[in-house]
Amino acid sequence: MTSPAILGACTLALLASAAALAGPERIAWPEGYAERFVLYNMVDRPDRGTVRFMYVDRASHDAARPGEPLPYGTVLIMEDHKARIEGDRPARDSDGRLVPAEEVTNVFLMQKEQGWGEAYPPELRNGDWDYAWFLPDGSRKADAKFEGCFSCHLNREGERDFTFTFAKYVLDGKPRH
Amino acid sequence: MYRLVVLFAVVLVPPGAAAAAEHVVAMKDGAYAPDRVRAKAGDTIRFVNGDTVDHEVFVPTVGFAVDLGKQEPGKEAVLRLGKAGSFEAECVFHQNMLLEVEVAP
Repeated sequence: MTSPAILGACTLALLASAAALAGPERIAWPEGYAERFVLYNMVDRPDRGTVRFMYVDRASHDAARPGEPLPYGTVLIMEDHKARIEGDRPARDSDGRLVPAEEVTNVFLMQKEQGWGEAYPPELRNGDWDYAWFLPDGSRKADAKFEGCFSCHLNREGERDFTFTFAKYVLDGKPRH
Repeated sequence: MYRLVVLFAVVLVPPGAAAAAEHVVAMKDGAYAPDRVRAKAGDTIRFVNGDTVDHEVFVPTVGFAVDLGKQEPGKEAVLRLGKAGSFEAECVFHQNMLLEVEVAP
């Protein structure tokens, strides 16, 4: 018969193991995402002089339904580009949108997998999402901090499933950009 | 010389052209006021944070998506309305803070 002490120790060990596995390391660099994923939105960031390209993996794009939680396996990418400069100010197109330069500065990922959120305390947990930060060559950002990702995305709990743009895009009927 | 000045004025200000308008939206008590703006392409919206907490204007609508960055209490931010269409502005920090914007050509 298993004693409560052994059960408790096993539970603690499992929790510690889950906590050790949590974090950006369990999100892999999505090689070739620009060709394989769907570019569903572009967000101007005039205060930083950047344009953010928003990608989602094609299977999750096709499976996502309005008002339903996003599918497990969803990978969302936010790819930062510098805005092109003309003279001493950012260039704008005929619609007043910032014009992105080719150069990518950072690649941020969020991925949803069954049970991933269990390693996080309730006040931080974003459902089953986790976050990672890569440089354009696919290497991990060495000094990356993720508290800001969790605290900010917590503001889109519920129908938006912790996402600022993708669930809204699904709710809006997946319009072409 | 007088004819030259008159001709220049006609070229610079075509008939029917209206000056761009500025619409002021307050951020107060966790809400946008007004919560609906009807504007024309070329107009601007000036957001004024009259709250004691930070706000951040965020538009997720495809084709209009923009993040104006964090606005501390008392700070202002300007959104330029470059094209016609409809979109929603949210606050990054407050999910229920919404502004509907309709932009006519």
